[in-house]
Amino acid sequence: MKYSYYPGCAQHGTAVDYRISVEAVFGRLGIELEEVKNWNCCGALHVPDRTVKTGLSARTLASAKGLDMATPCNLCYSNLMRAQTALQDSTLRTRVNEALTEKYDGNTKPKHLLEVIVKDLGLPKLAEQVKKPLKIKAVPYYGCLLTRPENNFDSPENPKSLDDLIVSLGAEPVKYYYKTKCCGGPILITNEDLALNLSKELLVMAKESGADCVVVTCPMCHLQLDAKQKAVESKFNIKIDLPIIYFTQLMGLAMGFDPKELGLSRHLVPTDKLIAKIGGKQ
Amino acid sequence: MKKEPILPESRDTTFRDQVLKTHVGEKIPTCIQCGICAGSCPVSHEMDYSPRELVRMVQLGLKKEVLSSNTIWICTTCFSCSVRCPRGIHPTELMETLKPIAIAEGIINKNAKFDNVFSSVIKNNGRASEFLLISRYSMTEPRMIKQLPFGLEMMAKGKLPLSIDRMENTRELEAIFKLGEKGESKIENKEIKEKDREKDSDKEKEKEPQETKMQENENEKVEAKK
Repeated sequence: MKYSYYPGCAQHGTAVDYRISVEAVFGRLGIELEEVKNWNCCGALHVPDRTVKTGLSARTLASAKGLDMATPCNLCYSNLMRAQTALQDSTLRTRVNEALTEKYDGNTKPKHLLEVIVKDLGLPKLAEQVKKPLKIKAVPYYGCLLTRPENNFDSPENPKSLDDLIVSLGAEPVKYYYKTKCCGGPILITNEDLALNLSKELLVMAKESGADCVVVTCPMCHLQLDAKQKAVESKFNIKIDLPIIYFTQLMGLAMGFDPKELGLSRHLVPTDKLIAKIGGKQ
Repeated sequence: MKKEPILPESRDTTFRDQVLKTHVGEKIPTCIQCGICAGSCPVSHEMDYSPRELVRMVQLGLKKEVLSSNTIWICTTCFSCSVRCPRGIHPTELMETLKPIAIAEGIINKNAKFDNVFSSVIKNNGRASEFLLISRYSMTEPRMIKQLPFGLEMMAKGKLPLSIDRMENTRELEAIFKLGEKGESKIENKEIKEKDREKDSDKEKEKEPQETKMQENENEKVEAKK
């Protein structure tokens, strides 16, 4: 299995732990991720002009060399998906192509890494690689942009793919009413107060579910729920202390990787209790 | 809350038509005001107008109220409303469409500033290094200094590198950003203005003199900005 790989900006910064775990886990599974050369930012949610934003993603999609384009980030994924749909309009495509050296034909399929695992590899294949069934309870948190506004693999209202992945690793997904509710990430910088209110609801509900961790698929959700968890605790004078784990880290733990090989020591919320429960060392 | 009556002079059909002509505009007239967007929105309680109200206001052409409301900036872009709308209207994309129009009208707030910083960082470097983004933005928003301890914590974990992540060359990005200079809203805006002017000259006498004058002022303002 081979994909063109679009890592996105966060992998070089706040989501370095995600990157470490992706490299480890995908390497072991024999899924080749060929990084796009000289890739550019997708514009996240902060390039207001639609044509420019579509152009940024068109340049990325044009570099796929006939492969499907995998990405680890929900924001990048949603932008690639939206651009892909928008670029089926040949007028827009022609206009955007004026700016591109490598013209885009409109035929690349964007895929989130979760989709690559759940759909392309298949969970039975993943289960074969499980050395240490996890025996923990985990919150499957999808966030917004993995399934909305569009995706090719799961329901936008009640997605199940991450739940199923958790099961195949030997863990138990808890029922979580907020699995697709917004964490507030996109407004963190400009409206932190409101962003923390949204995160608080998610974290309190996750804590009450009795889960050992929250599993995420997006660097922005991770930043908001892990790195900003302390800010939520002090704003509302509550104790959460709940590890937030990328799904690739959860896979790595079940596949028998050492937590250090998965970047778990780089989280702001300590992960040692979770690792101890799984029976690993940190 | 006491609702103020909407006076004919506060309705701007040029603005309405400008929005209706964009890629999200087509379905806006079909809104049935069911409110599923407002009910799905995680932040509608903080908005000046809920997404449902905003759609209606666009239909009515309430330009000033729409563009100066916090609604379009507070939207977290979660798309809950968009996937649920029974009419296939995409309120999230409507908010996105209204942002450049608001900026072109001279609306400045911290969100617009951040978007501006973000765009310029990408245009120049091709990638969004968090450290560069935050430090640039902090220059326009001094209150960001409060985030310093958080930044240091992130640095200690190796999550906020000081080195700037750059593409090998950003030549193509300049061309992509140039696409925006003749962007969707601006092109269509001009087309509509021109059409309106023709219409105006056709039926001069029908309009109240003051309204025509206001319209002309509006046209001049937009032209001057180009």
